[in-house]
Amino acid sequence: MTDLASIHHDEETQQLERTWSSPPGFFAWFTHVNQTNIGMRFIVTGFVFFILGVILALLMRLQLAVPDNDFMDPETYNQVFSMHGITMMFLFAIPVMEGFAVYIIPLMLGTRDMTFPRLNAFGYYIYLIAGVMMYAALLLKIAPDAGWFSYPPLAGAGFSPGLGLDFYTTVITFMEISALVAAIEIIATIFKCKVPGMSLNRMPIFVWAMLVMSFMIVFALPPLVIASLMLALDRMAGMHFFTAASGDPILWQHLFWFFGHPEVYIIFIPALGMISSIIITFTQRPIFGYIPIVLSIVAIGFIGFGLWVHHMFTAGLPQLGSNFFTASSAMIAIPSGVQIFCWIATLWGSKPKLDTPLLHVLGFFLIFIIGGLSGVMVASVPFDMQAHDTYFVVAHFHYVLIGGAVFPLLGGLYYWYPKFTGRMMNERLGKIGFWVTFAGFNLTFFPMHKLGLDGMPRRVYTYLDGLGWNEANLFISISSAVLALGFLLTLANALISLKRGKTAGDNPWNADTLEWATSSPPPSYNFRHIRIVDSRYPLWSGTGGLEQNPVVTGIRSDRREILLTSILESHPEARQPLPGPSPWPFWLAIATALTFAGLMVHMAIPLLGFLLCFIAITGWIWPKQLGAAK
Amino acid sequence: MSLHADIDASKLPDFSYEFRSPLWWGIVGLMTVEGTVVATLIASFFYLQGNHAAWPPAGTSPPELLLPTLSTVVLLASMVPVYLTDKAFKRGDPKPLAWMPLVSIALALVFLGIKAYEYASHVDFRWDTHAYGSIVWLMIGFHSAHVIAVILKTLVILYLARRRYFTPEKRIAVTVNGLYWYFVAAAWIPLYLTIYLGSRIWS
Repeated sequence: MTDLASIHHDEETQQLERTWSSPPGFFAWFTHVNQTNIGMRFIVTGFVFFILGVILALLMRLQLAVPDNDFMDPETYNQVFSMHGITMMFLFAIPVMEGFAVYIIPLMLGTRDMTFPRLNAFGYYIYLIAGVMMYAALLLKIAPDAGWFSYPPLAGAGFSPGLGLDFYTTVITFMEISALVAAIEIIATIFKCKVPGMSLNRMPIFVWAMLVMSFMIVFALPPLVIASLMLALDRMAGMHFFTAASGDPILWQHLFWFFGHPEVYIIFIPALGMISSIIITFTQRPIFGYIPIVLSIVAIGFIGFGLWVHHMFTAGLPQLGSNFFTASSAMIAIPSGVQIFCWIATLWGSKPKLDTPLLHVLGFFLIFIIGGLSGVMVASVPFDMQAHDTYFVVAHFHYVLIGGAVFPLLGGLYYWYPKFTGRMMNERLGKIGFWVTFAGFNLTFFPMHKLGLDGMPRRVYTYLDGLGWNEANLFISISSAVLALGFLLTLANALISLKRGKTAGDNPWNADTLEWATSSPPPSYNFRHIRIVDSRYPLWSGTGGLEQNPVVTGIRSDRREILLTSILESHPEARQPLPGPSPWPFWLAIATALTFAGLMVHMAIPLLGFLLCFIAITGWIWPKQLGAAK
Repeated sequence: MSLHADIDASKLPDFSYEFRSPLWWGIVGLMTVEGTVVATLIASFFYLQGNHAAWPPAGTSPPELLLPTLSTVVLLASMVPVYLTDKAFKRGDPKPLAWMPLVSIALALVFLGIKAYEYASHVDFRWDTHAYGSIVWLMIGFHSAHVIAVILKTLVILYLARRRYFTPEKRIAVTVNGLYWYFVAAAWIPLYLTIYLGSRIWS
């Protein structure tokens, strides 16, 4: 045991700063690899796409406010509602959750970066290029217009000529690489980079949730990649995967929903992790039922793969098969329920501080339970036959997705904002924003249940007068403005607090996990000292909190290096040098995008892209000093 | 403050191999993703088959077995030099790493050559003939692209090895390249069984 004076040198701190800092300048921006930089980019870009998605939703509500409206023509409306879904699912929900994972997980694990920093950067550029391409298509009025799930034969070459669906198929195919590499990276980091002492059974629940999310991505996204590639080939090379002539349109539905249903849980499970973090912090007590909660998350990860056919109850599948999926749809309520009861038990009698993050969690409870109940309704085949493709379903999945993911996400934003920026968001404005969002949400989406039961179908660009839908639609359109105002208040809060928020300090909430053990925002090397932990709540154990903990010494500060530990017990095993800033991830992303999007133009471009990818990968892995290791 | 040091990491190695290395987990993750792609392709093959009275559809003859079986043996054989190289290098013998990958690459090129010959002149359907043609060509295209990729990757490893970049301790790049080679060769087995036997059993 050595004392503080011999292990803490200011000189070394400066050296760490030099080693881990990202080079300044516009062009150098494309070389950054630090996990805090890349994570923040995912989060900011994700929220930008969220704003765009909200704007598209408002345009739709403007169109639907009155019957026989001609604000938008049908073609534009189709593109707008398709892009709304594509944006919210592909460009907002997954990337923003990954952004939180990339930013926070290494901090929670107490390490200095993720295992593959350049892969992180690559994933971000892929995502950015994909998003920009989709919105460029929308501005040119050639965006996809067959819904976010693009069912053939409507999405096939016969019924959807033109570039819109080509954008969809090629961009979706390569965009998912972004989520896949992030998932693999998160898994490897969680397995190998926990600080000594953080065995699997001491890992924060947030990390568990992100681990399960990553495993789900690994198994759920490949079928989507291959399905959208098949659809692209159907359209561009005259192949017959989903054509009625020889292939089968229902195969697309199977492949798409084999991805699409787990996707809901890929969005929802990280939110569960955020909720657990917030509840632990705001009740200031250990979570009730750590093991049941972790097992529930894992169980949801498995059962989530057994539900996809409930999106296809009206596709004419065998009855017995549908019954199986009804049963598994009901079964997933069990692990979800276990978690809710554990959270309630944690909250019970705890006199929690009702700050904005916790308010969002409580809002989640109410909204998600309503969404869960309408979910049980549509899980039964006879009811689903009636409600399918009506606004009832629109109401249901917005309750589940906004209630289950966006509310916890906004709670998470308020909760981790001080860590990201060093400043608190305004609490008063936060509370007002929450209530406006909460009221606006319910006023917008609850009436849609009734509209659906009254028979109004989804995805129609207008409706006739005299069907009895006028008042409800006008009411919903006005309410949607309230909801948007709520989001706007949170956005304004985030922007204003950037400069004018109260200084946060390292640990403003007195939270328990390691991300709060470093300064806010964290330095480029995350932690000056790598700690050793001895409990699930490292910042709460012992008496002295921050300063009372033993640390690891001997990790080099003259190059980027992290500590590797064993998977289960987190015994120190080795030091791992990490690569520094590099432009190659950016070039590889360009080459990858060219490979797939090139399909739209000519079949030879993908071949060129393949070659360029190889060059970029070789440049990426090429060692700095060749032969130095003799 | 009583910050104190309990673990001195400077005594730990600054390299790791096999499952202790993050890169090993990275490549396992990649193989899982691609394995899921293979499973999706095979599921789609049999799903499409369920729609057809005959599979391959009437007018298309079932594939011949001799050439593809021969090429499968060649591809599987290409794993042997990979294994021997890896084993020797672990023991500390760097010599096989300088030439044995060339044997693997040669065998993989023979495999690709046979495939190209087979699909240029020995099948009577195109990718746009029917669903069967589409899924078979996609499987072949997907797998061939991987064979080409792993050949290119191995060439880079070979070049670096000849410049003495690797040591028996710092060998993780060699290990994961070997693992990926095994994966590309092994992934062909279910694809072979599906395309060549799956097309015959129920035809």
